[in-house]
Amino acid sequence: MKAFTSNWLCISVLALVLWPTLCLAQVAGPYSDAEAARFLAQATFGPTATDIVHLRQVGYQAWLNEQLAAPVSTQKPYLDWVAGLPNVPDGNNTVNDDTRMEAWWINALGTPDPSRGKRVATDQLRQRVAFALSEIFVVSNANGTLAYEPYALASWHDMLATDAFGNYRSLLEDVTKHPAMATYLSMLANQKADPTQNIHPDENYAREVMQLFSVGLVQLNPDGTPKLDASNQPIPTYDQTVVRGMAAVFTGWNWNNTSCVTGSWTCCAADTYTNCGPSNTNDPAWWNPLQPVADFHDSTSDKQLLNYPGVALSNGILAHGGDARSEMTATLDNIFNHPNVGPFIARRLIQRLVTSNPTPGYVRHIAQVFADDGSSAHVRGNLQAVVQAILLDPEAVIGASYVPNPDAYGKLREPLLKLTHLWRAMAAGSQNGRVDTPYPEWESSYGQAPLRSPSVFNFFKPDFQQPGELRQRGLYGPEFQIHTATTAVAIPNDIFHRIFCDYTTSTRCYTSSGPNTMSINADRDAALALNNPAGLVDLYNLLFMSGQMSSFMHSTLLTRLNALTDNSAGDLGRQRVQHALYLIINSPEYSVQK
Amino acid sequence: MPISRREFLRRSMYATLGGVGLYSGFGNLRLLQAAALQSNYAFSDYKALVCVYLYGGNDGFNTIVPYDSATYATYAGSRAGLALAQADIQANNLTPAAFVGGLPGGPPSDGAAYGLHPAMPELRGLFNAGHAAVVANVGSLLYPITQQQFQQGQVPPPPQLFSHDDQTAQWQTSRPDDANANGWGGRIADVLSSGNANPQFSMSMTLSGTNLFQRGAMVNQYAIDPGGVQAMSYLGNGLESWVAGGTTDDTNAYNALIRGPTPSNALERAFAASSSSAIDYYTVLIDALSQAPALTTTFPDTELGNQLKMVAQLLQVRAKLGANRQIFFVSAGGYDTHTDQLAQQQANLTQLSQALSAFYNATVALGLDQKVTAFTASDFGRSLSVNSGGTDHGWGGHHFVVGGAVRGQRFYGAMPSLLTTAAGNPNDTGYGQIIPTTAVDQYGATLASWLGVNGSDIASIFPNLGRFNSSNLRIFG
Repeated sequence: MKAFTSNWLCISVLALVLWPTLCLAQVAGPYSDAEAARFLAQATFGPTATDIVHLRQVGYQAWLNEQLAAPVSTQKPYLDWVAGLPNVPDGNNTVNDDTRMEAWWINALGTPDPSRGKRVATDQLRQRVAFALSEIFVVSNANGTLAYEPYALASWHDMLATDAFGNYRSLLEDVTKHPAMATYLSMLANQKADPTQNIHPDENYAREVMQLFSVGLVQLNPDGTPKLDASNQPIPTYDQTVVRGMAAVFTGWNWNNTSCVTGSWTCCAADTYTNCGPSNTNDPAWWNPLQPVADFHDSTSDKQLLNYPGVALSNGILAHGGDARSEMTATLDNIFNHPNVGPFIARRLIQRLVTSNPTPGYVRHIAQVFADDGSSAHVRGNLQAVVQAILLDPEAVIGASYVPNPDAYGKLREPLLKLTHLWRAMAAGSQNGRVDTPYPEWESSYGQAPLRSPSVFNFFKPDFQQPGELRQRGLYGPEFQIHTATTAVAIPNDIFHRIFCDYTTSTRCYTSSGPNTMSINADRDAALALNNPAGLVDLYNLLFMSGQMSSFMHSTLLTRLNALTDNSAGDLGRQRVQHALYLIINSPEYSVQK
Repeated sequence: MPISRREFLRRSMYATLGGVGLYSGFGNLRLLQAAALQSNYAFSDYKALVCVYLYGGNDGFNTIVPYDSATYATYAGSRAGLALAQADIQANNLTPAAFVGGLPGGPPSDGAAYGLHPAMPELRGLFNAGHAAVVANVGSLLYPITQQQFQQGQVPPPPQLFSHDDQTAQWQTSRPDDANANGWGGRIADVLSSGNANPQFSMSMTLSGTNLFQRGAMVNQYAIDPGGVQAMSYLGNGLESWVAGGTTDDTNAYNALIRGPTPSNALERAFAASSSSAIDYYTVLIDALSQAPALTTTFPDTELGNQLKMVAQLLQVRAKLGANRQIFFVSAGGYDTHTDQLAQQQANLTQLSQALSAFYNATVALGLDQKVTAFTASDFGRSLSVNSGGTDHGWGGHHFVVGGAVRGQRFYGAMPSLLTTAAGNPNDTGYGQIIPTTAVDQYGATLASWLGVNGSDIASIFPNLGRFNSSNLRIFG
């Protein structure tokens, strides 16, 4: 820890303003397996023994460089592969939203991908950030249309993964033009005002792109705290005139016509505006960006956009006369350059990866990197730099002892990430490489599943406060919104099934020997558990809890494991592994990543 | 600023116990919670409110629709491509009762003839039989506000109008002036809980997950899965307990971890508290539900139908839970009909009508129809103007109150004009949204008062209520 601390000396000497440029390259470490495991819990879907060794060998920055260079693992090829399988057994080649979930698991876990010759995805950080982005830029299958469009949702996630280390401005444009989003927030076939039909442009996307994806409702200081007016009230970022202005901008966009000429579906044009579009779930219109139809774009009104100090458009007003493309470009630039975007996105990404209650200093640092990546080109919106800064900030790397309120540091682990962690740490896999869909579905047990949020407001909100001490102290805990009395039982019960039913060679339960069933490799640690239960607890303390287990918890686990003594079936070691895993994953100490 | 007794107690608790001790175990939490609850309520009878929340913003103007020729023509002119057929509305007409005894509640204020969306024959039946009422043009308000006052900025409207998240919060808290407020259902529970024989068992139950409506200062909402209450497999009484677990060593280890020494991290304390209380609650509930007879009422197998069915099952076991007052929360999504509204609303309202009707029938079968009131709430009404194929976020909208205690077959509040903005609609913001004429505060206070909240607590739960012309809509006489 001493050597480690010296690397942070620059913090105390230099103003934080200089931090990104002067200190970023100097973050050394990790100096222990525990530090490595802790970092991997923030940056991946869960540490494995192999990853800990590797990270210790190469160090944080080299590991990040490897991750930035790793090829993108996408989901769409998996859907194509499944579609091409023989339909034996019945339903084997069905492509639906569960198929998309399989692809998500395979990429998130890094299990051998049967659709690509058992290739193992190596882009853990990218997939982890894409998952975080999917909880900020929300589209969902909980939608009458998208529920049946796995290609649209797969390509949405592929877009997030591809853009995760790109520029926020590109991401914002890809989000805006993606048919999944256009379907979800009804920008698709939005049209200019038509007084004869009492039609106004649809305000749905205009409102949410500001409220949820970029600037938020109230003006922020660079450290993410709200600006207050003379009477101590927050100041709105925009008003209804801006919503209307942007609604008018986002008119005249429709399906991408590529491939409509084949005659399989109606091309979009002025005379087919409201009744065109793809007919099959794998028509490219479900992933190609929208295209404009000029007749339905409002090119005649001046549009009030965001107005802020330094805004490029005079008073934030976009003068009329532009076409759909040029007005969208001007509008996304107008949003992108608003000073709120940095602190807004910074806080959300920090909450997804590191801690629910970042200090203002942490948010300010990340917002500064968002504003200027420190390169000679001084790029704004460089997400690659933002992600690295989030993970290498002392508040992430040092943790609780670095912040003024150490007992409020960390985040409740997202329920689904408990399962990714279990499966990765325990080398889980299935016989045929596919991933079985449980009943009830993932989101029913865990309260979440990728691209299955109940609404555009995600499974939980950034400002959720659990009643009781957290709310009393003004502390946020987004994930607590889905930690209800229902999930507090359903999650441990699903974890129970994964551990006690589905292990390699198991025939214990109905699911245990299915070809698609994910099984943990409990036998890997059975010998250790048999001969040295304390050693097993130490190993799992590292893999699951970054070495943070209290002595009380350690002794509680050891007492439980030592009380298991019957080895008449030769499975005592495995049983100890199972009990240790179950008790750890459902414990309060493990459940908070810190 | 004066501090209420409850708030004083709460602050004292934190001061003396330092916040940490409070969470040292469920038992302590219960003791303290009970001590901090007001003790000036005692009930010998039973009553329950059921909030039926329609996420997304229901279009009230295509839910309750005029069918007389003149008003229909106005409606059809505004709604253009979204207008429902006149004959379909007439076939599902409402037959309101006359005003009596100088009380509010009677035929619609505009003198027009209204019917329900054709997807709602069941609810029409309840209305015409006197078991349901319409509350017109309800919405979140800071003050009563006219078109002129709104357009000229003379009276402040609620902040962030037309935003889902904010309007939902304002509906569920009735406090547009306090973004940090608890829900009004939660605030009611905070004061009424002490009247329950077993106040440790939360009087706020949700069938659709965590919601703001039921967030209280003292009473935590208890979430139940509509499919039933699960127990923990590892603790020996769950679905897969036959696989493993269930020994004394197992339960001791598990309990030690979630109820053992107070964790040093605040998030861990919160996790431990909710994990352990979940187990305490299900132990009571599963036992109670297992002894209850099957419901005789058939419920539709839909999102709302299944939630309301579980509410009916919980009503059956109210005595076992020691409940004299309860508030339930159920919800359905899909009401944000920007596009494809005709088809979507048809499905939504079919589900709503069938579920509400089944639920009312169940309360009759349980002999509780006078004791249980269901009411609708939603983010906002929708714009009278249209998008292509749908409607945009609006403000005021119409709502239903259903139950045997309701002075039904009546419209409460003022029906808004259905003219287009261009034609000079006096209720219009100027862009197609309708300005509410009844505040959520009035709606909530009326329901709270029926549930048994006294006048001084009504005033503290709904502090802005005095700004409006009546503090009780007299839906219950």
